[in-house]
Amino acid sequence: MPGPPAGGLPPVSIEFGSVEWEEEVERYDHRSRARAQAQSARKTIEADTAKLDWKRCKADGPDGTKLPGCRKLYVPLGQEGASEAPHGFVFQLIQKPDGSLAWNMIAFGERHPTNDKTRNVYERAHKRLHGHYP
Amino acid sequence: MATVVKRLDLTVGELVEIAGRRYEVVPDREGGVTLEPPITPAAELHAQRGTKPASAADFERLSADVPHDDEG
Repeated sequence: MPGPPAGGLPPVSIEFGSVEWEEEVERYDHRSRARAQAQSARKTIEADTAKLDWKRCKADGPDGTKLPGCRKLYVPLGQEGASEAPHGFVFQLIQKPDGSLAWNMIAFGERHPTNDKTRNVYERAHKRLHGHYP
Repeated sequence: MATVVKRLDLTVGELVEIAGRRYEVVPDREGGVTLEPPITPAAELHAQRGTKPASAADFERLSADVPHDDEG
């Protein structure tokens, strides 16, 4: 599924690895709103029917998160504010064995958890990239 | 019936299996530790799949016009 081309570059696919999907999305109860919203967003992304409002992640973000080479999408897609879009996907730009590039989903979760024990999506992405929480 | 406490000598980063499910020992926000389902490191997934992080130059070429916000 092609992503947004830029500057004449070839399209970049968007991928949801089975391990990441299980660890990030399927950790939520199958009846939960978060899981339903993630599934709906993935379906839209893979259908390539909507303009995606990508944002860059920060190489040096709040709370010590370091997400170089990453972008994010808020979920539900097309929503912006934290109350309308409480969740987010983080994607890392990767190079595949054939040399092509892809955006690979590395984290899904709450942007601003109400429970202070819950790790936000950026902390989860940091842990997947660096092996530990910031 | 008295509850038997099983004492585990665990450190952050170790994995335990309880009732067939794996959990990782991670720090909580209060100076202690807690158990949570593991997050497989990207490096491990890259090694399995033959992928690697793209270069910073490729990222910048693709993201030059993509905005930041105040979050992470």
